[in-house]
Amino acid sequence: MKPLLFLISCSLVLFGSEFSVIVSKKLPFSTLSTQYIRDLYLLKRHSVGNIRIIPINLVGQDESRSIFESTVLQMDRNRLNDYWVKQHFQGVTPPLTQPSFESIKAFVQNVEGAMGYLPSSMVDANVKVIYEF
Amino acid sequence: MTIQKVGLILGLIVVLQADPYALGHGVQVDKALNVGGYFSTEFSVQGGEKTLAFEDLAIMAYGDVNPMFSYMTEFESIGFYQKNLTNGIETSHRQFHAERAYGDVWLSDAYNIRFGKQITPIGYWNREPINVLRDMSSNPLYCSLLFPKFLTGIDINGYIPRVEGMTYHLFGQKNPDLDDEYVNIRNKHFFGLSVEKELSTEYSSGGSIGEYITLTEQRTRFLQLNAKYDDVKWQFMSEVLLAKSYYSSGDIDITFTGYAQGMFRYSAENAILGRYEHFKDHHVGREDNIAIVGYSYRPSYPISLKGEYQLHSLDNENRALFSFSVLF
Repeated sequence: MKPLLFLISCSLVLFGSEFSVIVSKKLPFSTLSTQYIRDLYLLKRHSVGNIRIIPINLVGQDESRSIFESTVLQMDRNRLNDYWVKQHFQGVTPPLTQPSFESIKAFVQNVEGAMGYLPSSMVDANVKVIYEF
Repeated sequence: MTIQKVGLILGLIVVLQADPYALGHGVQVDKALNVGGYFSTEFSVQGGEKTLAFEDLAIMAYGDVNPMFSYMTEFESIGFYQKNLTNGIETSHRQFHAERAYGDVWLSDAYNIRFGKQITPIGYWNREPINVLRDMSSNPLYCSLLFPKFLTGIDINGYIPRVEGMTYHLFGQKNPDLDDEYVNIRNKHFFGLSVEKELSTEYSSGGSIGEYITLTEQRTRFLQLNAKYDDVKWQFMSEVLLAKSYYSSGDIDITFTGYAQGMFRYSAENAILGRYEHFKDHHVGREDNIAIVGYSYRPSYPISLKGEYQLHSLDNENRALFSFSVLF
């Protein structure tokens, strides 16, 4: 896991951020820490200030989802699956999923408090970037 | 129409309306209704006596009614079926009892109110009390003898503002238990404060203080500490508890207990474990040291096969224990 994180970090330094975490441009905050986004996606936290956050994940096994999980959530797929099995006993289900980056972007634009991630090349003026990886 | 037919029809409705099923994640009918459960079986050998038990069977239902309110219910039968293979005696207990029944009112990340019957928010082991989620079959004495495992009351909890990664639980009970069938310490008064700090993705630590009064008028005050390291390969965890009890007879005594457990995962499915426990109760004059070695195999995380051997400093308590458990 650590060599993979190191390689990802090196590639980000050399080639720039590949993915962006986005929210609606109406939301009043402009940045969040890795730890805070991790807590939101693991459903340990549910809000930023008074705004209830709805984290959105990409459905399936896409490589971008694996990069998000290893760099931001700092867990591989097995460990994350174990985490959600434990959360099932605690009465917590994983975040909502969307089938494509286009639908994640549309969801974030239209639902207040929604948060998602997509390739940085898809970012435009309709959404706000709060974190890059 | 019999109750079995009603149950069958309801079950069919749940299955037909649910999302695709994945073992260990329950059946999601919609956000407001998820259904799941678990079971465990055990085989133990102690002093030449062999016992086979279908130990635990439980059904859970939970969901988010709206963004502010969620609920959890769990009904469990402990000792569902047991057979002593040495003398042939069979026992069964097929009645289900309320293990958890609570609601959560979310007001902010710093202020969440949980009310009803719930697991006492102390330490690590007590919060994952079922066989399939644990890496060893047996419970340390730490969490079965010295504080109530369950709380029927209110727990105010959340993140402590301006302290990154630190959570609190302030809880209290001033009434009898909702269903005291599987309660370890029957009490009428239980208050406590628990805090936990996530130091990094691998390290966490915390502690609790509390007081309870049993139905036999024993007042106990306790101090508890816990620490954990958990990475992909290794996990180390330890919990200790010091309790001072005031008995109705006028006696005052101290009890100390703690355990340290290590686990090495040499693949995603296989792990070897070791645990050391110490227990000393001055009041009953009991002191035990327990060393346990164990093995855990999980073909997938919600399916657990475990074996362990316990060495006790007290005579005739050594035993081998094997279990098979599933979360569904």
